[in-house]
Amino acid sequence: MIDVNQTAWEVMVAHAEKTFPNECCGAMIGKIDGDQKHVTSAVPMENSYTGEQGARYELRPEDLLEADRNARAAGLDLIGIYHSHPDCDAYFSKTDLENSCPWYSFVVLSIKGGKFDHANSFLPNAEQTVAEKEELSWPKS
Amino acid sequence: MAKILIPTPLRQFTEKSDSVELDGASVGEVLTALTTKFPDLRKQLFTDEGKLRSFVNVYLNDEDIRYLKKDATPVAATDTLSIVPSIAGGAGVLSIAGGIQ
Repeated sequence: MIDVNQTAWEVMVAHAEKTFPNECCGAMIGKIDGDQKHVTSAVPMENSYTGEQGARYELRPEDLLEADRNARAAGLDLIGIYHSHPDCDAYFSKTDLENSCPWYSFVVLSIKGGKFDHANSFLPNAEQTVAEKEELSWPKS
Repeated sequence: MAKILIPTPLRQFTEKSDSVELDGASVGEVLTALTTKFPDLRKQLFTDEGKLRSFVNVYLNDEDIRYLKKDATPVAATDTLSIVPSIAGGAGVLSIAGGIQ
């Protein structure tokens, strides 16, 4: 299970709404306690995909490296990645699956008409052939 | 000995260590030492053919080894290796393998 606190959630939603109608992406930082993942901060990153960004995103590994270093320095962990689906539901697409990695949680935010609609979290398997849905909680307004 | 930083999800394979110090003259030697010490880590990082999995990037300090000498990149005792995944995606195409809710 993964829970996202108010501070991190506001950053993620604001980022996803601001970049609409393009996809956004970023990292989720926090602590892992057994099977519980607690996201306490979010790090917005630039979508570096070089084509049309309405249905694609790409993270720069250097940005992820920096986020991981900063998390370590703060005694925290890189827990997962978030990205948005503009005017689409928060499913885990074939594109998402094939370009993911099996180590992290992947939170997808559905943004419809420029406003947050719903979200889901996914855990890709080791072969990146299937992504299981992971229980996700966030502060409901 | 060079230091290798272990990503959080992989620490289950390194007896919970967040970094490991190992001997090796090149990136390839250090990675081999790492997966020899922690065999369960091997399939996380390498294919059955022994190549780094497609999403695995290795950085020597701030440099991606693909732009240096790859596995043959020399490693000094003061160097730090980081394992960083390539991640991309997008709403593009609906999955038929699972995950659609």
